[in-house]
Amino acid sequence: MNTVGMDLGTQRVKVVVLKDGEIASRGQALSGFDPAKAAEQAVNEALKKANLKLSDVAYFVATGSAMDIAPYANSTVSMMGADAKAGVFLFPKARTIIDVGAEEARAVKCDEKGIMVDFVVNERCAAGAGVFIEAMARALEVKLEDMGPLALKAERASPINASCVIFGESDVVSLIHRQEPKPEIARAVFDAMADRISSMIHRLGVNPDVVLVGGVAKDEGFVASLNRKLGVNVMVPDYPDYAGALGAALTAATRAKETQK
Amino acid sequence: MTNETVGKRYMPEISRREIDELKSTMKAASQKVMAENIERMKKADPKRPQAMKYFDEISNLFGKRQEEIQAEKEKGKKVIGYMCLFAPTELILAADAIPVRVNSGWYDTSKLGDRVVPVEVCPVIRSTIGAKMIELSPFLEQSDALISVLTCDGMTKLGEILSDYKTIWGMNVPRIKDSAHSLRFWNDEIKQMKTQIEQFTGNKITRKNLKEAIEMSHRATKAFRRLQELRKGSPVIMGRDAMLVNQTFLWDDKQRWTEKTEALCDELEKRAQRKDWVCSPDTPRVMITGTPMFWPDNWKLPTLVEEANPQGIIVADELCSGERILNDPVGVDEWSMDDMLNAIGERYLMASTCPCFTSKDGNEDRINWLLNKVKDWNVQGVIYYVVRGCMLYAMEYTRVKKALDKINIPVYYLDTEYTREDVGQMKTRVEAFLEMLTARVDI
Repeated sequence: MNTVGMDLGTQRVKVVVLKDGEIASRGQALSGFDPAKAAEQAVNEALKKANLKLSDVAYFVATGSAMDIAPYANSTVSMMGADAKAGVFLFPKARTIIDVGAEEARAVKCDEKGIMVDFVVNERCAAGAGVFIEAMARALEVKLEDMGPLALKAERASPINASCVIFGESDVVSLIHRQEPKPEIARAVFDAMADRISSMIHRLGVNPDVVLVGGVAKDEGFVASLNRKLGVNVMVPDYPDYAGALGAALTAATRAKETQK
Repeated sequence: MTNETVGKRYMPEISRREIDELKSTMKAASQKVMAENIERMKKADPKRPQAMKYFDEISNLFGKRQEEIQAEKEKGKKVIGYMCLFAPTELILAADAIPVRVNSGWYDTSKLGDRVVPVEVCPVIRSTIGAKMIELSPFLEQSDALISVLTCDGMTKLGEILSDYKTIWGMNVPRIKDSAHSLRFWNDEIKQMKTQIEQFTGNKITRKNLKEAIEMSHRATKAFRRLQELRKGSPVIMGRDAMLVNQTFLWDDKQRWTEKTEALCDELEKRAQRKDWVCSPDTPRVMITGTPMFWPDNWKLPTLVEEANPQGIIVADELCSGERILNDPVGVDEWSMDDMLNAIGERYLMASTCPCFTSKDGNEDRINWLLNKVKDWNVQGVIYYVVRGCMLYAMEYTRVKKALDKINIPVYYLDTEYTREDVGQMKTRVEAFLEMLTARVDI
């Protein structure tokens, strides 16, 4: 049986195709102004890679901020529910899943079946999410993908204000003016984010088996800061940005079986 | 505190033209919101009780009820407004005056309140200030005096700010509940308020008319409790409908409200017999607690919960804009004046679960309320709703969460503002929470 999960995020649409419970292919497209169209493209790309047609798919589940306008979707699942499913599928021991995306950070606590039992979401502010790194990279005049490696070179972090993207940016500018070394500023950016996210997780209760997913999980600078903050080694899967789509595809598999009954 | 001898101490100068313009725009917007809310409530329950028609009509803040009050005023009756539930409405009724609660649920006016106080201040306060600034609220405008009970910081200063326009009677509330001294102090406040109301209205509060007023609230409480009983089983009424009924009590005629609520209950009882549920009995049963929610604009959380996918149904709340209005009757032993006044004092102070109080066990009464509701109303999840700036509710969350964790009831902290712009984000959270509750039901 084939199922498809679509994650219509604020920046990208990600798609995962599952064939009998195994990941068959992935696809993605920029959300742009028409996330529904982007989702169509991403689905077609992924199906093509898996040598499947739309009619071969038993069930589609959508998640992500634009899930309500997803094409093909038979039903939807919340982003937190999808994270929990994917986390436990990828790391069966996982009970806490942190998802840091472009504009939102969230943490989900789940049971052994991947069913969420509690969750928290960052509060009306993007300072704990991916766009914060983007804004800071711009201020530092480095490429986004260079931020992580740069931060890893730092011995210490310069202090910055992470309560807000805008104030954070002006803090970074003043550090640049004071000629603080760039690696230390880069590390400060990640530390500040990790600070916010770890206090979020502390509200849920920390647990040693923490999985980190979402686009920002690809950033080694952030992972290092988060590990230091939480005092654990967070587990990061391959393709962490596809976790939402994977969770949706797994949900689709369960729901397809339920409808067959 | 009156405005007769002093100039405006807080309120900015605002031209008549600006007032009129803003008022007409915001009134039109509000009428649209009210109509929309009711349309959505009708859609949520295609077999909505006939009796709801009355409450739909009375919920119109610019409609029939304010016309009635105006007519009464012209005949010489006084209108006494209040901002906190602690105002002893029985005394107002006994003096043949009309009690109305005047807190604002308008989002747009909270932005006007920003001209007077910083945005960090609770939006319920900012919005009420804004509503006064442009004379939007008929009930606030009609109030001849306002009872300002000094509960949270916001309410304390709100009275002071509104004294730029209105006669304000402050009531000093003791914040430690379980002390004989506190109760004595508060009972004295009640007695003073009695004298104040008598002087102002020119009507003596007698043993007879106070007894009648207390009995009137007893009948209202009885009707209200009957409605609450009907929400214990499989759902026969949408939570939003029950919440609207509940809230209209704040401005409606008490006798008529009671009759209409009884009629609604008659209908609902028949519905229960037919097993004609408003939604599947498996729908996750939700309770709301936290900051008060005022009609019409701040109806977004109940709407979200009951229109979500998966859907939830609100079966109970612990809100001073909801069930707390009528839950507790005034318990009188002897119908002497003294005893009645003390009973009123006790009802407003001791029965309150407001987080402005503490005691040697902290606000244990609130925890007990929540635990009892969970048990008796079979609540499966609690949404802890807080608006930015509502410090006391925000601070009590940790304790409530711990208490609910112990009995394995999920609780979600939802923080928001007086704005429509965050509905998308709120929807994501509410739906994830309901999905979680549904998954637990399935297991």
